[in-house]
Amino acid sequence: MARYQAGDFAAVTALVECIGPQLHRFFMAQSVSRSDADDLLQDTWLRIHRVRHTYRPGEPVLPWFYAIARRVRIDHYRRASRTTTRERRLEDVPDVAAVLPPEEAQSEDLEVLLAPLPHSQREVLLMMKVAGMSLEDIARATACSVGSVKQKVHRAYKTLRDSMNAIGGKKGSSRGQP
Amino acid sequence: MTDEEIDKVLQKASGAATPVEPATLKRVADSLHSSLRPVRPLPPTWVLTTGLAVICAVVAVATAARAGFYGIEKMSLEESVLILSALAILVWVAGTQFVRQLIPASRQPLTVGAFVTISSAALLGVFALLFRDYHTEHFISAGIACLLTGMLVATPAALLSWLLLRRGFAVNPVAAGLVGGVLAGLSGVMMLELHCANFQALHILVWHTAVVPVCAAAGSLVGWALRRRSTPA
Repeated sequence: MARYQAGDFAAVTALVECIGPQLHRFFMAQSVSRSDADDLLQDTWLRIHRVRHTYRPGEPVLPWFYAIARRVRIDHYRRASRTTTRERRLEDVPDVAAVLPPEEAQSEDLEVLLAPLPHSQREVLLMMKVAGMSLEDIARATACSVGSVKQKVHRAYKTLRDSMNAIGGKKGSSRGQP
Repeated sequence: MTDEEIDKVLQKASGAATPVEPATLKRVADSLHSSLRPVRPLPPTWVLTTGLAVICAVVAVATAARAGFYGIEKMSLEESVLILSALAILVWVAGTQFVRQLIPASRQPLTVGAFVTISSAALLGVFALLFRDYHTEHFISAGIACLLTGMLVATPAALLSWLLLRRGFAVNPVAAGLVGGVLAGLSGVMMLELHCANFQALHILVWHTAVVPVCAAAGSLVGWALRRRSTPA
């Protein structure tokens, strides 16, 4: 990162190749399409590039990247919801909630597994399990306390446990039927 | 299902995720190469906080000097020391919080809501301790004049603070605006304590303290407007 700030071309390529896939997975798991995830990744890197002087050498780097990626995703979400509201007003199209049927949750896709979780819990779990960040780093990236992160992780696990148990129960009962 | 089993499922799912196209990464890297040049990292937090504290003090003292130091002249030495030290501590804490808001992934030991509440409560506590004259005269008219004066002083303090931290990046502009508002509001309160000779307890408790939350609200509104402008539909 220090080399990136110093204007080293090789450092940029190395950083994009190292952090880019993680950020892409972070966006993909937030229920966005692949093309949206590509756009968000591009936007995030442009934003990172513009504010790269705000990183201080010696500080943990992953929370800094994720804090910016999170902001880009929130901006994207706000923009999309504003556009949706306007389109609805113009075309009077009824809004259909994108609720996943329980059968789909049998899939092993990360996005599908995490679908029952609210955004705040999903992003915390992604940072923890996919990026391998510590509670302290997640707290920095999400601008909240470590206690709050712990609480979100605890709630996320509870929801996942309930949802997976429900699926397991359903599977068991459907197998028992002739 | 246990937490360990959930961990295994998540690990498996995260490993099975479709990887990003190498062409996408190459496109990103190429787009950054075109505008790559060395940048200077932001100075340490304490340097920026000192700058903010100096701005607040200079704005407050300069405006009070112009309007007259009637308040500080009427106070006893203990009162003035206690009030100015409390304000200095609050300005330092608010400055640190504001700098942290403008540097992504900084530690946030306090939520912004808690910070505004604690700052206002601390001011109320100090004022309640020192001023005991509970009779009121021209409560509304004198109060509104003080509130407006405090806000007027806060405006240049806020603008100069923003100028100092213009290279920062607010991950949450509303929260940054709120904390910046508190800082600027404290500058306004400092000026009022130096200038205002109305020592009625209710006047100070209500109207002087109100400068902080009102400026915080104005700051968050500015942050909200900036965020909205930066994310057009």
